[in-house]
Amino acid sequence: MLFQFNAQNQKKFEELLSHYPTKVAALLPTLWLVQEQEGNISFEAMEVVANLLDVSPAHVYSVATFYTMYHLKPVGKHHLQVCRTLSCALMGSENLLEHFKNKLKINEGEVTPDGRFSLCAVECLASCGTAPAMMVNETYHENLNVQKVDQILKELK
Amino acid sequence: MILEITSGEQEVLPGPRLFNMAKIKLKIDDREIEAEAGTTVLEAAKAVGIEIPHYCYHPGLSIDGNCRMCLVEIEKIPKPVISCHTRVAEGMVVKTQTENVKKMRNSVMEFLLINHPLDCPTCDQAGECRLQDYYMQYDRIASRFAEEKVHKNKMVDLGAGVMLDQERCIACSRCVRFCNEVSKTGELVLANRGDHVTITTFPGKKLSNPYAGNVVDICPVGALTSNEFRFKKRVWFLSKTESVCTGCSRGCAIEIHFEASKVYRLIPRFNPQVNSYWMCDEGRHGFHFVNENRILKPTKNGVEISASMAISYLAGEIKNLSPASLGIVAHATLSNEVLSILKELGTSLGTQVFFSRNEPHNPLSDHFLMTKDKNPNQMGINHMGFKPLSELTQGQSLIVINGLSKKDGELVTQKKAKVIALFSANESELSKNCSLVFPIPTFAEQNGHFTNGDGLVQAFKAAFKPRGESKEIGVYLHMLLAQLEDKKPRVAFGI
Repeated sequence: MLFQFNAQNQKKFEELLSHYPTKVAALLPTLWLVQEQEGNISFEAMEVVANLLDVSPAHVYSVATFYTMYHLKPVGKHHLQVCRTLSCALMGSENLLEHFKNKLKINEGEVTPDGRFSLCAVECLASCGTAPAMMVNETYHENLNVQKVDQILKELK
Repeated sequence: MILEITSGEQEVLPGPRLFNMAKIKLKIDDREIEAEAGTTVLEAAKAVGIEIPHYCYHPGLSIDGNCRMCLVEIEKIPKPVISCHTRVAEGMVVKTQTENVKKMRNSVMEFLLINHPLDCPTCDQAGECRLQDYYMQYDRIASRFAEEKVHKNKMVDLGAGVMLDQERCIACSRCVRFCNEVSKTGELVLANRGDHVTITTFPGKKLSNPYAGNVVDICPVGALTSNEFRFKKRVWFLSKTESVCTGCSRGCAIEIHFEASKVYRLIPRFNPQVNSYWMCDEGRHGFHFVNENRILKPTKNGVEISASMAISYLAGEIKNLSPASLGIVAHATLSNEVLSILKELGTSLGTQVFFSRNEPHNPLSDHFLMTKDKNPNQMGINHMGFKPLSELTQGQSLIVINGLSKKDGELVTQKKAKVIALFSANESELSKNCSLVFPIPTFAEQNGHFTNGDGLVQAFKAAFKPRGESKEIGVYLHMLLAQLEDKKPRVAFGI
């Protein structure tokens, strides 16, 4: 089925357009809106967005692949984003990442078979003072260690 | 009608033409130079022969400034600037050869080569590659990169006969800008980022525009290569000759790249009055008739004979015919020189000269270079005042030069006219049925001029000698007129 904004998001999209001098300027928030609605951004949706904003589908593809926070493939209900940049790496984020891999039995960029968790390593989360840090969807978790992480996983249904 | 004679090689400063044409004085490498306001430092330097290395800058495209190779130092500007994006200013002092600039070039080269596969031995670009050239000129430092290079897809068929090697790409975005700005089709983009960046089309879509071949020409490295030319010839074996495309009445300025009487590729040659830096794919791939399907020897009823014998037969036939029952058919693909020889022949024999032309076919014309008229020299025909074949009289005998179009062939049959001799470079239905056939050279084997649809006369040059025993029309007709005793040659044909 062709991608379509639902009624509520269609309104949001029209509102978005009014914020910018050109249609193409609304590309990033529009893609964000697609992701909010669908969970990820499919090629189909990119073509629809391209039509909505009068740009080529290739241009939308270029933008969507540039930003790592746009998901081109479906992610789990809880998307675990473990920081791997310097401060977190020094404070043991590599171990955390390994721990997740072993515990959830998935690699970076993969989703658990039940669809609950997906795992990825990300660049700096701007939380160096409380390293190591990770984001679960849009929630920050800081000063992590293996015990804390296990606790967090337990609480996530 | 004829506006101007040009071979398309006049030096024209590339770059934006602004209303303010005031001259600006500046200094580049201790040389006092003058440049027009609005010119960039890179262009101003190029105009006086100072070459500043660059990858992403192309005079026919917008400025992107991503490759950083053209960094120079300018006095009073604290940081180095990219010369492709810096406009000249009064009193500017530019330095392109300082130690710092050299260091920057080294660093840029080092970054570009970090993930470069160094597969020059199997790369078609080798010999005309900016990475190779600049490495030798500006870098010459051994790699310090001991890690594993990023590996990507080495064979992506983008479509339109263009092959992409993602590993060789330096992400200069020339091809992306070409598709956005020149062909205006926007198929190519840069996807992903950092060292994973690649040129790509939208998933499932192809590069498909009638000018796509140009992205191969403008690719400064071996990332984009042409399926047609790939692995056919190392470029250093190729010789180059200036020519004019024969695909349509636009008459794009081109270069013929050839070796040993074989054409390997056509590429556009800069001519601001006609085609700028570009040409269409139809023209680009339209050279195979030079290499293939050629008539190499004169024949009579399919049997090879010498040119002088064949000419005697033709002279014999002509003597038995009254001037009114004879006709000459020129073709709109012939040069002005050949056309004027035919006109001269018509006058001396007292016969009519008609013309045939390639019929329009799809793809027709467009907003850019391709025109509907698929003949390079219709204007030349018009200038000579030759008649269309529809004015043929019943049962006329014809000497046909360079073939007949399908429509004209039908006309000839309809009027019960007979082709007594054919001068042609390529085999055709007509050449198989015609009793006397003479081989002539293609545009790649002779000098001449075409008048394009806008009345611009452009020269094309012979790349190599006529193939086989083919001779230029002038040579044959000189022999012919010598044989027609009472009709001595009146002109010295330009042989």
